[in-house]
Amino acid sequence: MNYLTDTSNIFTRYDLNIEVAQQGARKVSGDEILQNVADFVINGDEDGIADVVKETLETKTPMEVINDGLISGMNEVSRLWDEGIYFLPQVILSSDAMNMGIAICEEKMGRSMDKKGKVVTHTAEGDIHDIGQVIVNALLNANGFEVVNLGADVPVDKVVEACRTHNPVMVTGTALMTTTMTAFPKIATQLKRLNLNIPFVCGGGAVSEEYVTGFDMGIWGKEANQAPGMAEDALGGDEWQAMRSKWNG
Amino acid sequence: MKPKERVMKVFNREKPDVMPCFCVNGTPTYQQMEKVGAYWPEAHERAEDMAKLAMAAYTELGFDAVRAPFCQTFEAEALGCTVKWGGKENIPGIDHPVLHKLDDIPKLPDDFLERGRIPQLIEAIRIMKREVGDEVAIIGGIIGPFTIAGAMLDAVPILKATIKSPDKIHPFLEIGEQAGTLLGKALIDAGADLIAVEDMQASPDLIAPKSYQKLEVEYQRRQVEALDVPVIIHICGNVDKIIPFMEDTCCAAISIEPKSDVRVARKILGPEGILIGGVDTATTLFMKGPEEVRAGSIEQIEMGLDILAPGCAIAPGTPIENLLEMVKVAREYKYD
Repeated sequence: MNYLTDTSNIFTRYDLNIEVAQQGARKVSGDEILQNVADFVINGDEDGIADVVKETLETKTPMEVINDGLISGMNEVSRLWDEGIYFLPQVILSSDAMNMGIAICEEKMGRSMDKKGKVVTHTAEGDIHDIGQVIVNALLNANGFEVVNLGADVPVDKVVEACRTHNPVMVTGTALMTTTMTAFPKIATQLKRLNLNIPFVCGGGAVSEEYVTGFDMGIWGKEANQAPGMAEDALGGDEWQAMRSKWNG
Repeated sequence: MKPKERVMKVFNREKPDVMPCFCVNGTPTYQQMEKVGAYWPEAHERAEDMAKLAMAAYTELGFDAVRAPFCQTFEAEALGCTVKWGGKENIPGIDHPVLHKLDDIPKLPDDFLERGRIPQLIEAIRIMKREVGDEVAIIGGIIGPFTIAGAMLDAVPILKATIKSPDKIHPFLEIGEQAGTLLGKALIDAGADLIAVEDMQASPDLIAPKSYQKLEVEYQRRQVEALDVPVIIHICGNVDKIIPFMEDTCCAAISIEPKSDVRVARKILGPEGILIGGVDTATTLFMKGPEEVRAGSIEQIEMGLDILAPGCAIAPGTPIENLLEMVKVAREYKYD
């Protein structure tokens, strides 16, 4: 008589197991050595990335490693995220691995690589629920923006001051609670007074389109996923009015 | 039919007279505070105020159940986490510094139930039971294991660990489960008819569905089994992908917000599963008027709800007429 030795699949609900069909990452480089660097990013291997980057820098230039290894790998991570194959933890791990790799390349070059542009991010004053901001930071980082992360529970003045010092292409605010989002119009008013016409993207659990489009410079961010696309628009020179009519309404 | 009977009939898989309406999450609004004379922050800290404000959901709104507490910090505070107080307007939250690093082995204090504000919460449930326990269902609120673990470790470290070193999370889940279960049992002893577990951080918005399945379901299942009243599990965000796994916890009911698709959940749970949900607490209940609340509530009910509820904790600035309208809608769904 035959006995079933592996019973692990008996009760597997294939119809519901949404990750069964998970497809692997695609190749991003024709060069095997650079593909290897990209794979460390795709796998979010923060522990291994330093060694592999150092090793690769013996035969490749820092810019090759950055552009064709680290950033190409991160682009693939963005694709896997967009397709719902990767989730937030993978994006954070990959983004951290990429940044560690970039830091090593920068050290070798003796200068910082040019980022696309700066984005100031914060969670509203009184609100310590910064998870929305964590997502925004990871995605912006992943897409080559320099994130000026002000963290959670940030006073209005501090946000305005950061905008003055860093001159970002965009500023974001997240709020989980309806009670804390009232800080956003205050920030917008101050920015306007200082003539800092920076698109101000606001989103998060409690934040509605109606509320954000109720004050100048405000653009409503429905999902954290929209942050990189919005930052690209801002980088391309779109003013808040154009961004609002594209992303809202 | 008394509100309590109405609620319990649903959990006993019998037909109530009309659809019950209550909130699985926090219920207070500033208007309710004014009406009953119990305010934040006292109602987060003192049993009498907490009970008074919780009961406003029945006396002022006509909800079929009342619920305490109003924040997600009781277990974490008792475990040693730092609480950031919310003052008159806000709910308390967990602040830095973070209690633990991933390599630590957390411990459940022997006097867990005597720590922080837990005795006040237990007493509040006792008061609620005494005052309105014959009329309405009493819900005791606890926090899910993964979310308590997240409070101990902070969000980014625990998220990274779900992929990198899931084994290191287990001791924290273990303590999170024990803490919630201990509190849940104490709340049941004090008079809770139902337990609501909020597990915000276990949402697919934050962790992979596979991580939820592999890390959290077993602890939730254990918790559900240990608590001998019906347990409602509430997870925020779009939970479509984890509904089958939430079902595996054997909880009595699943509570979702409108970012999830009620139809998907209904299809997976079948006609027997109890589904709680309703309109968005920010974009509709807080920002719009009774008309939109009515339309949105009907839309959600028609997709297959058993109990109408705000999708999450009620925003404290929510106008009372919106909440009253929601109750009115539920009353119109009669079962014969």
